[in-house]
Amino acid sequence: MEYSEVTCLLRSLCELKGTSGDEGAAAEKICEMLGRYMPSKIDTLGNVTGTRGEGFSILLDAHTDQIGLAVTAVDDDGFIKVARVGGADCRVLTAAEVIIHGKSDIYGVITSTPPHLKADSDSGKVKKFDEITVDIGMKKEEAEKVVSPGDRITFKAPFSHLAGNRIASPSVDDRAGVAAVLRCLQLLEGKKTCRIDVMFSAQEETGGSGAAAGAFNSQADEAIACDVSFAAAPGLSDDKYVALGSGTMVGYAPSLDYAMSRRLTEIAEKKEIPHTAEVMGGSTGTNGDDIQVSGRGIKTALLSIPIRNMHTAVEVVDAADIENTARLMAEYIIERSAENA
Amino acid sequence: MLETLKELCSLPGISGREDKVRDYIISRIEGFCDYKIDPLGNLIVFKKGKNSPKNKIMLDSHMDEVGMIVTGADSGGFLKFATVGGVDPEVIIGRTVLIGEKNIPGVLGIKPIHLIEKSEEQDLPKKDDMYIDIGAKNKEEALSLAPLGEEIHFESEFIRFGDGFIKSKAIDDRAGCAIMIDLIRSELEYDCYFSFSVQEEIGTRGAKASAYTIDPDYAIVIETTTAADISGVKGEARVCVCGEGGAVSFMDRATVYDRSLYQKALEVAKSNNIKAQTKTRVAGGNDAGAIHKSRGGVKVLTVSVPTRYLHSPCCVCKYDDIVSTRDLVREMINNLAV
Repeated sequence: MEYSEVTCLLRSLCELKGTSGDEGAAAEKICEMLGRYMPSKIDTLGNVTGTRGEGFSILLDAHTDQIGLAVTAVDDDGFIKVARVGGADCRVLTAAEVIIHGKSDIYGVITSTPPHLKADSDSGKVKKFDEITVDIGMKKEEAEKVVSPGDRITFKAPFSHLAGNRIASPSVDDRAGVAAVLRCLQLLEGKKTCRIDVMFSAQEETGGSGAAAGAFNSQADEAIACDVSFAAAPGLSDDKYVALGSGTMVGYAPSLDYAMSRRLTEIAEKKEIPHTAEVMGGSTGTNGDDIQVSGRGIKTALLSIPIRNMHTAVEVVDAADIENTARLMAEYIIERSAENA
Repeated sequence: MLETLKELCSLPGISGREDKVRDYIISRIEGFCDYKIDPLGNLIVFKKGKNSPKNKIMLDSHMDEVGMIVTGADSGGFLKFATVGGVDPEVIIGRTVLIGEKNIPGVLGIKPIHLIEKSEEQDLPKKDDMYIDIGAKNKEEALSLAPLGEEIHFESEFIRFGDGFIKSKAIDDRAGCAIMIDLIRSELEYDCYFSFSVQEEIGTRGAKASAYTIDPDYAIVIETTTAADISGVKGEARVCVCGEGGAVSFMDRATVYDRSLYQKALEVAKSNNIKAQTKTRVAGGNDAGAIHKSRGGVKVLTVSVPTRYLHSPCCVCKYDDIVSTRDLVREMINNLAV
């Protein structure tokens, strides 16, 4: 298998469950993984942070949280009512398998409406969130013993190896970014660099609160946010969206530092790292936006990994794109370290 | 029976591709009966009982499951497919499937929620716009990994959960197959014929032939049927209820059942303390539709395991109901034989 290093990293990261605001268990494991490269800890809002080296500093960011659902109530028939955490997509919930992180992990199936109960006008229509319930095979009294309002719900779906180096799994957004940062640190092992701050941030999917606080604590000279973005797929033309497997996407946007974006592109050209440009007209909708304006302000760049089916249980990514994102980050750090030594 | 059901559910077998299911069933009944495979692929079994019955009895359940079949690929390497049997798009979007002999994984993708128009939020993709992503880079790679006509089945593990529930793909109708295997491996009071039928899901085609061949006086179809005992659904709209035993049909979209058989089944259940219930909606259809019209006509009875989310990757039923259904069918054999 090519890219086995990042694929293995991604697999162990995707196995972790951590929806926004409930990153706890996932954050602890990721803190341990980061600890192999630098002293690491978990901060007030649940960000995993670490730092190594001195002087000029570059902050690397990727978010630990994933989209999901939260329990709002157990209804009279023992079925679980839900609210969404982050941008969960109603269109892909019917018949999905889930885990409710209650007193213990409880298995459930999201209910679907049998044909005889469906009006013709409902056919092909998406259910509304208040119509969605989870079947855990229990009566109300039993259910209430193990499930409480606020408990988080995540997809139970496989980590599938597709053709080539492609993978389908829940929570590739943004464990792929976490994998790229960890892989970058691995590539830099034994090399003398400037100060590297790492922030695996909480609560990106609910608005970026984690990154705002974490970046304030770091106050690095420069930051690179690493997230996922949209790849071409049926319905998303390749005139507008990049192909999966075409490399790391260097972000260009008014909110991003233009010199950093240019530099990243130049290094990618020079080192022959596959890359594309992702151009946006304002801010970026990523942690980059929050990092940029934290404290006195931080020059920020964005590298994105193209994925398909964002915010579903089958987010598809090409391992080569994760590897190339890690390589470009590492090469950038090496050059900037030499210049600022 | 639970372990048998688990193994049966794990096998792929869309309509017309029931071979693996049939091979497994043969491996389990070999030595307990006589059997033959008819030209359509039905597995027809004769089981000798302790006595010769006055009436010839046929039991039927179907081996096939709903799924999909590869019909093409586009230039981007995405597979196109047709559904085999009734599969609602809403239960497959965002799910994982396995394709062909090599179980190649693929996923049913969708345009991300961030990029859809407000007007698209309420509508599921149309069947023609749906596709399976197997990670192929182009049409050639896609079709070499998943050639035209390749079978597609849901990836869905057999899981026990909650208060005695089971979740898997293909419980419809491997539950019936598991019950028939159990009966064949046990000692029966009377001789009995069994048809493990093909192609129920595309219009009860297999049972048409096997009923002709067996030529029974009575037939009992062992099936699964919709249990709509879900959140907020009350009374007869639930159709049947998990945990209340086999559902006995008086009428569905394909068959008006013999009234005396329907009544007898409920009486026999009651007098033997076996849980059973009436299927309270005239909905669906099964092999009984083909069998009752066979030759000069056959009196039919259907007993079904109540199953939630039929024809989805996640069928849900209660194991106790499979046991009750088997017990009722066994009593009915004894009752109809004389």
